[in-house]
Amino acid sequence: MSLKREIRQTSLPAIRLAVISMILCGLLFPLLVTGFAQVLFPGQADGSIAHLGTSKIGSYLIAQNFSRPFFFQSRNSSLSASGVDPDITLQDAQSQVARISSATNITRDQLNTLINQHIEGTFWIFGYPYVNVLTLNLALIQSYQTVYQQLDPNIFRQ
Amino acid sequence: MIQPADFLTIILILSSAILAARLLTPHIVKIFTYAPSRLDRFLDPIEKGIYRLLGVDPSHGMGWREYFLSAVIINIFQMALAFIVFVFQGGLPLNPQGFPGLGLDLAFMQVISFATNTNLQHYNGEGVCTQLPNCSTLSTNSAGQPIPGLSYLSQMTAVQFLQFTSAATGICVAAALIRGFVAGSKDMGNFYTDFVRSLTRLLFPLCFVAALIFVGLGVPQTLDGYQILHTVEGSTQTVLVGPVASLVSIMQLGTNGGGFFGANSAYPFQNPNPASDVFQIFLMLLIPTSLCFVYGHMLGKRKEARPILWGAYALFAIDLLIAFIPNYSLGPGMEVRFGGFFTSFWTVVTTAVTTGSVNSSLFGNHPLVILSAFMGMLIQSTPGGKGVGVMYMVMYIIITVFIVGLMSGRTPEYLGMKISARDVKLVMIAFLVHPVIILVPTVLAYATGAASAIGVCVNCPAASTGFTQIFYEFTSAAANNGSDFLGATGNTPFFNISAGLVMFLGRFLPIGVLLALAGSMINRKRTSEIGLKTDSVTFTIVLVGSILLLVVLTFFPFLALGPILEFFQKRVNGF
Amino acid sequence: MTTKEPRTPVSHLGSNLTSTKTLLDSLVRLAPRSLLSNPVMFIVELTFFVVAAMAVYPPAFYPVASLSLRFYYVEVALILLITVWFSTLADALAESQAKNTANSLRSLESEVQSKKIVMEGDIRRIVVSPSTTLRKGDLVLLEKNDVVPIDAEVLEGIAMVDESLLTGESTPVRKAPGDEVIGGSRVISDTLTARVTVNPEDTYISEMIRLVESSKRPRTPNEVAVTMVLIGLTAIFTIIIVALLGLSITLNLAADLSVLIALYVCLLPTTIGALLPSIGLSGISRLYQRKIVAKSGRAVERAGDTDVIILDKTGTITVGNRQATEFIPFAGHTEREVGESAFLSSWHDDTPEGRSLIRLAYEDGFIPRELNALGVSEVYEFSASTRTSGVKISQGTGFMLPKGDKSSRERGRLRRKFEAHVEAGSVIAEDETEIIKGAPDAIKKIARSIPSNFDSLINKISSQGDTPLALTRNREAIGIIRLKDVLKPGIKEKIQSVKVMGIRPVMLTGDQPLTAKSIANEVGIDEYRPEAKPEDKYDIVMREQAETRVVAMIGDGTNDAPALAVADVGLAMNSGTEAAKEAANMVDLESNPAKIIEVVMLGKQLLMTRGAVTTFSIANDVAKYFAIVPVMFATTLPELKALNILGLGLNTAVLSALIFNAIIIPLLIPLAMRGIRFKPTSTMALFIKNALIYGVGGIIVPFIGIKLIDIALLSIGA
Repeated sequence: MSLKREIRQTSLPAIRLAVISMILCGLLFPLLVTGFAQVLFPGQADGSIAHLGTSKIGSYLIAQNFSRPFFFQSRNSSLSASGVDPDITLQDAQSQVARISSATNITRDQLNTLINQHIEGTFWIFGYPYVNVLTLNLALIQSYQTVYQQLDPNIFRQ
Repeated sequence: MIQPADFLTIILILSSAILAARLLTPHIVKIFTYAPSRLDRFLDPIEKGIYRLLGVDPSHGMGWREYFLSAVIINIFQMALAFIVFVFQGGLPLNPQGFPGLGLDLAFMQVISFATNTNLQHYNGEGVCTQLPNCSTLSTNSAGQPIPGLSYLSQMTAVQFLQFTSAATGICVAAALIRGFVAGSKDMGNFYTDFVRSLTRLLFPLCFVAALIFVGLGVPQTLDGYQILHTVEGSTQTVLVGPVASLVSIMQLGTNGGGFFGANSAYPFQNPNPASDVFQIFLMLLIPTSLCFVYGHMLGKRKEARPILWGAYALFAIDLLIAFIPNYSLGPGMEVRFGGFFTSFWTVVTTAVTTGSVNSSLFGNHPLVILSAFMGMLIQSTPGGKGVGVMYMVMYIIITVFIVGLMSGRTPEYLGMKISARDVKLVMIAFLVHPVIILVPTVLAYATGAASAIGVCVNCPAASTGFTQIFYEFTSAAANNGSDFLGATGNTPFFNISAGLVMFLGRFLPIGVLLALAGSMINRKRTSEIGLKTDSVTFTIVLVGSILLLVVLTFFPFLALGPILEFFQKRVNGF
Repeated sequence: MTTKEPRTPVSHLGSNLTSTKTLLDSLVRLAPRSLLSNPVMFIVELTFFVVAAMAVYPPAFYPVASLSLRFYYVEVALILLITVWFSTLADALAESQAKNTANSLRSLESEVQSKKIVMEGDIRRIVVSPSTTLRKGDLVLLEKNDVVPIDAEVLEGIAMVDESLLTGESTPVRKAPGDEVIGGSRVISDTLTARVTVNPEDTYISEMIRLVESSKRPRTPNEVAVTMVLIGLTAIFTIIIVALLGLSITLNLAADLSVLIALYVCLLPTTIGALLPSIGLSGISRLYQRKIVAKSGRAVERAGDTDVIILDKTGTITVGNRQATEFIPFAGHTEREVGESAFLSSWHDDTPEGRSLIRLAYEDGFIPRELNALGVSEVYEFSASTRTSGVKISQGTGFMLPKGDKSSRERGRLRRKFEAHVEAGSVIAEDETEIIKGAPDAIKKIARSIPSNFDSLINKISSQGDTPLALTRNREAIGIIRLKDVLKPGIKEKIQSVKVMGIRPVMLTGDQPLTAKSIANEVGIDEYRPEAKPEDKYDIVMREQAETRVVAMIGDGTNDAPALAVADVGLAMNSGTEAAKEAANMVDLESNPAKIIEVVMLGKQLLMTRGAVTTFSIANDVAKYFAIVPVMFATTLPELKALNILGLGLNTAVLSALIFNAIIIPLLIPLAMRGIRFKPTSTMALFIKNALIYGVGGIIVPFIGIKLIDIALLSIGA
C-alpha cells in the first residue's frame, strides 16, 4: 500500500477522533471538574479568598504588598520564583517582630506566640516551617482590633 | 549533604510512588491486553459509541507502520485544532481577560510543544498585561515580542486537550512497543482502541480524582475571570484564577509539565503547599513507573521489568546524588513553602520523568542541580516520560546487550531473540537523533545571532549561564521535557520554529524508529536458552553503567561548557 | 579415524613482525581507497590530511589554527598517520598468519597418496603423487588395500570396497564400471581404474583460502552489526566535534582545530575499528591451526551460540572400540580355560576387540597349549548373519604371528614368551577343537547347553554398561568375556566444561540402552539415544531446532549429510564422504570428532574478543575526555582546568591522549590474534568477568597509560 493511500485512509477516522478527543479532554473534563469542585470545595475553587468582615481583602495563596511597619511583610517579589510567594520563613517573621512591636506596642512575646500558632509546612519530622503573611496579618488585625483600628481605620472600612 | 529527614522524605515518596505504580499495573495491563474489567459495564457502550463515530474496527490489528502513521496523523489533526484555538482565541468565548490571539510562529511552536508532551512555554499563561484585568495590550520581551497570555478556552481546549492526548499517545506507543516484544504477538494492536481506552480507563478517572484533590489543597477551578480585590492597605490586587486544577492534574499525571501560569508550579495557585508539591511529584512518577511493571507483565516475564525499573531508579538515584551534593537552602528564585529541599528534589524528578514543570526559577538552582536535570533529560528513561521512558530503556538495553553482551561469548540476544545488524542500525539511529537535534540548533542559535537577540550572553565565556540557557532549551525540547530558562523570553521566530522542529523530531523520529524495531520482533525466532540474563542484578548494573557512559560520552563537552563550568566558576569565586 | 591433539600454531607473531612482506603490505594498505571498507580508520586518515594541511599552511584554517603551532601540527599529523598504520599492520599480520596456516593445511591434505595413470604414448605409467595434485578427469589406479584418494567414477574392473568409515555400512560394497567410489573408502579386493570427478580444491579448500583474504572475506552478520555500532558512534562524535567547532568560533572560545581533531580521533572507536577485521580473521586462523577448515566465518560465530551438541559415542567419547577386561568362567570351567579359548578364537580376528582379547589373555598369562596348532586351523569369519566368529583347530605345530598392526617389538615379545612356554613342555596338542565367540543371544542358539546363570550374568554385565561376549568350546558355553568401552583421555573434563557453559550434550550410540546409559553416566551426559541409526541425528537436529536451540554436530557418513546440512554447526570428518563434507560448514582434516567442542569454544572466544575490544575501546573515551577537555579551552575558560584530574601538562595532555590512543592498537594486536583467554564457566560468569576486566579496566587503564605517557613526554621536554 502506498504511503499516500495509507495517509488518506487514516485521515478520516483520525480527524473524527481529534474532534471527539478535543471535546472530551478540552471541554467535558474541565467542566465536569469545575462543577464538582464548585460544589465540594467552593472556597478553594475560587482562589482561597481571604475576607475581613464581608470584604474580600486578598487571596491567602497570593502575596500582596504590605508596606506598613505594623504588618508582617512579604518577601521582595523578585526573590521568589512566582513573584507572589505568600509565605515567609520563620526566621524572616521573627526578624520582623521587633519592628512590629515598636509600631504597635504589642509585646514581642505575644507576636512570637502568634507566629508559632500559625506555623505551616511541617509534618512530624518532615518539612521546613514557614508562615503565611496574610494569615499572620489577619490574625494580628483580628487579635488586636483596637490597636489596628487606631493605626489605620481604613482597614475596617466597609 | 542531605538531611536525614529529607532523605527519609525522598524514600517515602519514591516508595509510595513505586508501590502505587505496582498496584495500578494490573489495571493498565487489562487496558492494553483488551482483557475484561469491572469498568466494562459502564465504559463499553461509551467506547463502542466512539468507535462507531470514528468508523473503525477496534479489533483490527495494526502493523508498526500503520500504528505509527495513525499516531502521527491524529497528532497532526489535534495540533491543527489547537492551532486554530490559539490563533483565534481573541475572538472565541471563555476569554474574560480579552487576550489577543497568539502569533503564528508561537502557535506553531506551542501546539507541537503540547502535542509532543514537551510543554515548553514561550508565553505566560496569565500574560504580562499592561493594564489588568484587560489584557488586550501586552508587555514585550527583550526581543520586542509581546508576552502573550491564554484565554480559558485555550487553556482547556488547546493546552489541556493536547496534554491528555499526548500522554495517551505516549502510553499507546509503549503498549505497541511492548506488544512487539511479547512472544506470540501477531500485531502491534489498534491505535484507536489503545488511544480511547487509555483516555477513558486511565487518564480521565485518575485525573478527575487528582484534580479534586488539588482543589481541596487550594488550587482554583473556576471559569470566572480574574478577581479584583482591595487589600487591607488599600491597594488593588488582581487574583489570577481559572480552571487550574483540571490542568494541573493532567500536566503532572501525563508528565506534560506545561503550567497554567508562567511560573508553573512555583505559582502558589498551581502548587499551594508542600502537600500539593509532594502529590504532584507522586503523580509525575506514577504512570512512568507503572509502565515499567507493565512491560514485565505484558511480556509474561515479570522479572524482565527489573532492569527497566531498577535501572531507571538507579540512574534516578545518581541524579539525586549529584543534585544533593551542594548544600540546599532557601535561596533567590525559590518559594518559601518549598525551601531548598523540595526545590532541588522537584527539579530532579521533573527532568527524570521529563515532565518539565518547575516549582522554582531554574536560575535559582545550583549548577549541580542543573547538571542533574540535564542528566535526566539526556538519558530520558529515569524512568522517563509517559511511555517513551520504557521505549528508551528498551533501546538502551538492546545496545548494551549488543556491545557488552558479546563478552558472554554468545551472539547477543534479547528475550531470546538474536539482535541483528538492522536492529543495531535502528537503535543507533534512535540514539543519534538526540545529539543532532540538540547540538545543531544550539550552535545555530549562536551563529544566527538569535541568542544575543534575546539578551543571552554570547561574548562572555567567563560567565557561561548563557550557554546553559540555550543548551538547556534544546535539550529540554529534544527530550520532550519542557522545563526551561527562557520562558516568554524565547518567544522569537527563531526559537519558536527551531524548538518546534526539535520537539517534533525528538518525539516522532525515535518513536517511529523504535516502533519499527519492535515491529520486526513480531514472529522473530526466539530461543528458550537464555545465556545473558537480562533480568539479573549484574545486567542492571552493567546497563546503568553503559547508559551513563554513552550519554556522558556524547554530551560531556557541552555539559563542561555549561553547568560544570558554572560549578567551577562558583567554586573559584568562593561558592 | 585417527586422533591427534591440535598442533601448536604454525606461525607466530614474532616471525610475522620481522617479515618485510607483511610490513610492506601494511604500508600499501594505507592508501585511502583500501581503507574504504573500514570507516573509522578512513576518517582517521582524513583527519591526518587535514592536520597535515594545517602544518603546511596554517592561515587557511584561521581562526582555529595558529602559525606558532606548526611544529605541533606536524606531531599530531604523524601520530594520526601512525594510528592508521597500526591498524593496517594489524590487518596485514592477521592475514599473513591466516595464509600461513592455510598453506600448512594444504600440505596436510597431501598425505593421501594416489596412483595416477599417465599415458605416455601407448604406455600406461603409474605416478604416485599426493591426492591434492589430482585434477578432474585424471585416471587413477585403485588396487587392493588402497585408499580411494578422491571421489571418482569406476571405468574398469569390479572390486569390493569398504565404505564403513564413511557410511557406517560394515559390509563391503561391490563396485562395477559406472559406479562412484568415494574418497576415503578402501578397496579390499581386486583392482579398479577410475576417473576423478572433482577437483580437490573445488570442495572447501578454495573457500578456505577465500576466507583468509581480508579483501575478499565476506563479513559475518555479527561483524556487520558491530560495524553499525562503530558507524553510529562515529556519527555521534562527528556531530560533537562539528558542534564544538561551531561553538568555539561563535563563542570565541579559541579552541585549536588540531585539538578538536585530536579529541575527535581519541573519541572515535579506533581500537576496535583497527582490530575488528583481524579479530575475525584470527578466529578463522585459530580454527586452521587446529586443522579445521571453516567454509564461512558465520559458522564459527554460530558455534559460540551452541545450545545442544550432538556427540557420537564412538570416536568422540570412547576411543572407538571396546576392550576385553575380564574373563568370567561358568561353573565347571576355569578362568584360564576361558582366557586360553578366547586367545585361540581371536588369533585370526584383526578387529580391535579381538586384539584386546589376546592382549588380556597374554597379560594374564593364559597362553593356550594349542597355539602351535593354529597354523592348521580353520577360521570362522565374523558375519552379520551369525554374529559369531571362531576357529577350528586341528593338530599341528609352529608359531603364527598375529596379523594386524602390532608393532614388531610386541610381536617379538610374544614369540619369545611363546617359545619359552614350548620349551617348558607345557604345550600339548589335542584333537580338533572348535571355539566360537559371539553375541550372547547368537551363542545361545548354537550352544548345546546353557548354564542356568547365563542370562543373569549377561544382564549384570550389560547393566554395568559393558558388553558381554559369550564363548563356546566344542559347542559348550564355557564363559563370558567382558568388553569395556574405553573413554578418550580428557573427554570427561571436556563434557564437563561444555555443560558448565550451559551447552547440553546429547550422545548418540548404536549400543543397547544399558550400555549407553552406563557410558553416559560415566562422562556426565544426561541425554543419550541408544540403538541410534545415523538418520536419528537428523531427527534430533530438527527437534532441537524446533525448540529454537542452536545445534552443533559432527558427521562423516553420507547418512549424516542431511543432518550436517541443517545443523547450525556441522563439523565433517575429513575421512568422511564428500557428501558429508559438502553438507557441513566445517571439516576437520584430522578427523577427530571430539574437536567439535573446541569449535564451540573458539566461536565463543571470537565473539568475546570482539565484544571485549569494543567495550574496552568505548570505555577508554572517559579518560580521553578528562585529558583533552580541560586544556581545549585553556585560554578562555581556565576554570575548566579543574577537570584536569590527572594533572597532565598543558602542552602535552593532547599528545599524551593521542599517543595512548595509537599505541593501544599494537598492544592489543596479540589479544586480537590469539583471542581472549577464558575458563569454561557459565555465560553469566564469563560476562561478569569480562565486563569487569574490559569495561571497568577500559575506564581505568587509559588514565594510567595517559599519565605515564605524559610523564615521559614532560621528561623529554616535549
